[in-house]
Amino acid sequence: MDILISGLLLGGTYALMAMGLNLQYGVARIMNLANGEMLVLGGLAAFWLFTASAISPLITALVVAPLAFAGNWLIYRYLLLPLVRRSKNQGQLEVDSILATFGISFALVGVMVSIHGEYITYSYLADPFSILGSTVALNRLVAFLAAATIGAALYIWLNRTYAGTAVRAVSVDTEAAGLVGINVDRISALAFALGGAVTAVGGTLISTFITLDASIGVIFTMKALIIIIMGGVGDIRGAIIAALILGLVETTVATVIDPGLTLAAAYVIFLAVLLFRPQGLFGRRTS
Amino acid sequence: MLTISDLSVSYGLHRALAGVSINVSPGEIVVMLGANGAGKSTLLRTVAGICAGQADGKIDLSGRDLQSRKSDEIVEAGIAFVPEGRGIFGDLTVWENLMLGAYSDRGRRGKEKNLKWVLELFPKLTERKSQVARTMSGGEQQMVAIGRAMMANPEILMLDEPSLGLSPLLCTELFGNLSHIRETGMGVLLVEQNAKQSLAIADRGYLIENGEITGENAADAMLEDPAVQAAYLGGAV
Repeated sequence: MDILISGLLLGGTYALMAMGLNLQYGVARIMNLANGEMLVLGGLAAFWLFTASAISPLITALVVAPLAFAGNWLIYRYLLLPLVRRSKNQGQLEVDSILATFGISFALVGVMVSIHGEYITYSYLADPFSILGSTVALNRLVAFLAAATIGAALYIWLNRTYAGTAVRAVSVDTEAAGLVGINVDRISALAFALGGAVTAVGGTLISTFITLDASIGVIFTMKALIIIIMGGVGDIRGAIIAALILGLVETTVATVIDPGLTLAAAYVIFLAVLLFRPQGLFGRRTS
Repeated sequence: MLTISDLSVSYGLHRALAGVSINVSPGEIVVMLGANGAGKSTLLRTVAGICAGQADGKIDLSGRDLQSRKSDEIVEAGIAFVPEGRGIFGDLTVWENLMLGAYSDRGRRGKEKNLKWVLELFPKLTERKSQVARTMSGGEQQMVAIGRAMMANPEILMLDEPSLGLSPLLCTELFGNLSHIRETGMGVLLVEQNAKQSLAIADRGYLIENGEITGENAADAMLEDPAVQAAYLGGAV
């Protein structure tokens, strides 16, 4: 039961960060390998403001979101849009964007190391909290609830509003989106910026209970990637389920076997998904 | 009025269109006949702003120059396009597809009026409105595609082989519907392989071969033309 609860709580926060990458890859068609660094930046901001001025990470999240949005918008507009414009097909864009964002990730790691080269850790709401007979740290529960709220808001925005429908239209078919009068470049920039903001806020929340450091971003990029591929690209419900599965498996392995094996366990599920359901848990086979 | 003058398009060294000049007036159905690879699709895709090739020439809609604009700007200017294979948003519902059709400022202005019109023309879409478009039959998807294009409130509607993959019965229904669209005052530019049925509803026709316009005539005259009959109508009507 303890494993189940803390696994689900961890998975909920993972879901949020994966939603960020899902927007960037599913809509803007950028496989953003610097996604994890954006997450660590969100955590770094929380650490910074908490240790310097005792500002609650929940407040920091409100500051991080617009800053990350603006930063990611600029990255898309000036670094990635030229790649989108010159690419003749999706395959070429994927190769180009992977290389470009891989480079961006190194640059961000360098910046973060120069700001704060040590562990990003602080103690916020680290009190025990009893839920359904299990005891969890309060910060995990708060992070989960915040992540669930943001995730639900995003889901409703995408599925129930006109602007959200336009975003989904771009993710389904960029050419058809242009033919109904959608400015695909603008919606892609919006989705990329929004995805970056969501991931950074996810980092702010995760930093309340996981110790980060400047170079750990790549691990989170990989986790987000595993979740997206397991859940199916562009499928938010699939990503949520996949994130919960990942959270559960990691917690189980860490508790029952050895904490050092969590990453290995994540890759085992990843391999299993690629072997047996490459289209994702709920994805359709591409025809 | 859509006026295309001396339009040439190349894909690298391959020239797909060479000096094509055509025009489409409001309330007129113009059909373009030609074999596979003659350049019909390239022509429509170039006008719609989604052609990957190098285009040269003039595309003018009622005094506005539309050459080498982006597809969303062209929709805003007043040309809607139903590509071959329909290009609907398969993962979205019928209703979402129609609503997105009115995404442009131009479409938003006429939204209520056009929606009423589309649902009158395709009453089936009302009952299917919350169905995911991908799960519909080919004929129904074509209705969604045409309805969505009409929601953009265009001056000119372009369709690339709308009858492709439809049963003979659905073809007849489709061409019947297209002839109704003319009543709204829209001009229709139609690319078709089904020469007989498309000429029957059209006002004028063009013949295109190897990227060049080789003939132009009134549709009924074309139906009688022995050369057209031999090439596109299987010898006799």
